[in-house]
Amino acid sequence: MADAASTQGGFGAWLLDPKRRGALLVTPALTILFVMNIFPLMWSFGLSFFNYKATSTRVPKFKGLDNYADVLTDEKVWERFQTTAIIVGSSVLLQLIVGFLLALLFAKEFPMRRIVLMLVLTPMMLSFVSVGVFFKLFYEPTFGIVSYVMNFFTTDNFVMLATPAGAIAGIVIADAWMWSPFVMLLVLAGLVSVPKYLYEAAEIDRASKWRSFWTITFPYIKSLLLLAVLFRTIETFKLFDIVYIITEGGPGSSTETIAVYLYRTGFQFFKTSQSSALAYIVLFIVIVLTNLYLYAVNRREAEVS
Amino acid sequence: MKTRNLISGLMGATVLAAGMGWTPVSAADVTITMAAPDWPPTRFMKEHFDATYKSPAGHNTTLDMDFIPWPSFYERVAASLTSGEQKYQMIVTDSQWLGAFVEGGYYLNLTDKINSDPELQAIMQDLHPALVSAYSTYPHRTRAQLEEAGEVPAPGVNYYGFPQFPDTYVTFYRQDIFCDEGEMKAFMDKYGSNLPCSYEDWQDTDWTKWGQIGEFFQRKAGDMLAGETLDDDFYGIAYQAGKGYDFSTMAINAFVWQQGGDIWDESKAPSAQAEGVVNSDVAVAAFDEYLSYLQYMPPVAKTGQMDIFVIQDLYMQGKVGAIIDWVGLGEPVLDPSASKVHDKSAFGPAPGSRKDDGSIDRTGNIGGQPFVLTTWNSDEVVDEALNVVKWWLSPDTQLEAVANGGQSGLMSVMADPGYNDLRPWNRAHVEMIDWQKDVWHIPEFFEMLTQQQEEFDKAITGQISAKEALDAVAEFQQELLEDIDMIE
Repeated sequence: MADAASTQGGFGAWLLDPKRRGALLVTPALTILFVMNIFPLMWSFGLSFFNYKATSTRVPKFKGLDNYADVLTDEKVWERFQTTAIIVGSSVLLQLIVGFLLALLFAKEFPMRRIVLMLVLTPMMLSFVSVGVFFKLFYEPTFGIVSYVMNFFTTDNFVMLATPAGAIAGIVIADAWMWSPFVMLLVLAGLVSVPKYLYEAAEIDRASKWRSFWTITFPYIKSLLLLAVLFRTIETFKLFDIVYIITEGGPGSSTETIAVYLYRTGFQFFKTSQSSALAYIVLFIVIVLTNLYLYAVNRREAEVS
Repeated sequence: MKTRNLISGLMGATVLAAGMGWTPVSAADVTITMAAPDWPPTRFMKEHFDATYKSPAGHNTTLDMDFIPWPSFYERVAASLTSGEQKYQMIVTDSQWLGAFVEGGYYLNLTDKINSDPELQAIMQDLHPALVSAYSTYPHRTRAQLEEAGEVPAPGVNYYGFPQFPDTYVTFYRQDIFCDEGEMKAFMDKYGSNLPCSYEDWQDTDWTKWGQIGEFFQRKAGDMLAGETLDDDFYGIAYQAGKGYDFSTMAINAFVWQQGGDIWDESKAPSAQAEGVVNSDVAVAAFDEYLSYLQYMPPVAKTGQMDIFVIQDLYMQGKVGAIIDWVGLGEPVLDPSASKVHDKSAFGPAPGSRKDDGSIDRTGNIGGQPFVLTTWNSDEVVDEALNVVKWWLSPDTQLEAVANGGQSGLMSVMADPGYNDLRPWNRAHVEMIDWQKDVWHIPEFFEMLTQQQEEFDKAITGQISAKEALDAVAEFQQELLEDIDMIE
């Protein structure tokens, strides 16, 4: 029948044969995926085994695993990983605390709750660049709002970004401000799914507030909290824009995350192969975290069902 | 019959065209796409090109400027070049990028073109030698080496760029407070010397006085300044102390050179060393002096984020008495809609280090940008792009550019009697251009610069001393340059 159609209707009819329709529909998506994602990934993976520099006309030489060895034995890389870990740990912890508290607040009804909720969600809808610029201006010591307020409590000018600790705190606050609402949304979803009768039963049993929380509320939200932690860890691990705009990695290199260092290696120093090797090491870490995330998602689905 | 009509028609059209000055035989549509930073000197170039440019070859030439914001300029240009998209026929480039993009095969060597074109030779001879050295030569040749050669093009030297905007550091200062009688008397009482008010006073201002100005004008909200009560804190001085790009290197190099120190000298590779030179006692003392004045500057200096735009903004907001900044950032200062000090500002040469004989050394790191041609252009585009270069560097165009906030690198134009009156900073620019040197041009420039900026930033923010910073810079440069055989 199909053969008949192809001979009668030509190429168009052959192509639109129901047997081929599925493949036809996914072909554009697969083509784009291959051209935009898979091919560049394979290409950069190949480059990571050579000594290629994008600004050089020299023919690249095969270096095997040398770039990976160079990256993994480079003190600077480990310093950047340490900085990244400090920022990720602090920021995700702060997001969890603020997000959780906000969720507890919004789990209850109060006047203008919807409007306030919308306002609280606004930061995560902004672009990273906007948030970076906002906070850079907030922290500006001559006319910034943070210094202006803090100067009421200090004798010297308050300069948030003058020390490594202050600069890390500045980045963590900006990132937490932007993403705490995301944690709040996840936790809120868990909180509103707890059946009310469980709390009523706990009240009859004269269970304390803490006991109610630990035995009723927490089991409902723990998988969602884990999801929030993993998702935010993956995202914060890749943090680039906010750091680059607020501190450019300074003072010195004290806030230079691995993403900023990767960018410098690839696009400022043009060590293309070395940056590709570093990018694959970062990708490996992100894949591990993503698998943990997917495991948490599956666990949550199993709990819900 | 038809053939005869056609021939006579064509003859008539040719006569008509010739009579109107057309050159239809060689005319072609030529589009030159130029990567350019988005600021007044390049905006003016585009406007003036559209209004006045006529191709000597009779082409219908379009200058298509791709205006790119400064903060992402390098990344955008670098990404375009290395991706192989071949988008640009001309590029406004920082001189330091020459090595990376010449070695990458992107910037066109113009030596043969200059050799065979008397007009271009005349332009090169008229350009200030500091600009030819910094903007055009790769491998880099110093001004002294070019002057020693005595001819243009110098034998064995490769030329790549022409000045689009030659920039220098000058002092922007508040005439209303520096020329206030009360302030002048108080300054004289305190330091026993005069507060610089006139251009000539700034010619005699060294770094010591610069520090005194900083200390003198550091006032708190509620204090008096030139007879008025201050609403906000006020600071006397500011110069670059920023971690981004080259924002502290440019200022620190000036201190080092003026006091007899040096950076790694690429023109003497491979014998020139980094260890022992970059971190010499002289260089450490110069860097220490640079750091010592930061205490008198706005608090943003403590963050290592006091870049050229930040000090310009603080000055325009009336928070600082005097800044050292590029001429290219002067125009907004005079704009009443952007600047609170538009009618109070004057300009002088940047301070320098006083020598034993009493003279002042103002050696500084050159700013501004050349433009270059790219290697994938057809002969027709190259020739037309060079016509654009000749048009831009013609005296009439240069004077128009200067009158509209640009600058010239042509000595004949700078010698024009009316030049200094075109813009208020011109006299200082002409004085400063003679002191200019440049940082490195090798392909590893960005790696050296980034590491140096990080170490400088640590010193600026008080994490390490000047010596520790320069020791770290010297060690890094020595190792890197030995690896690439630039140091033996």
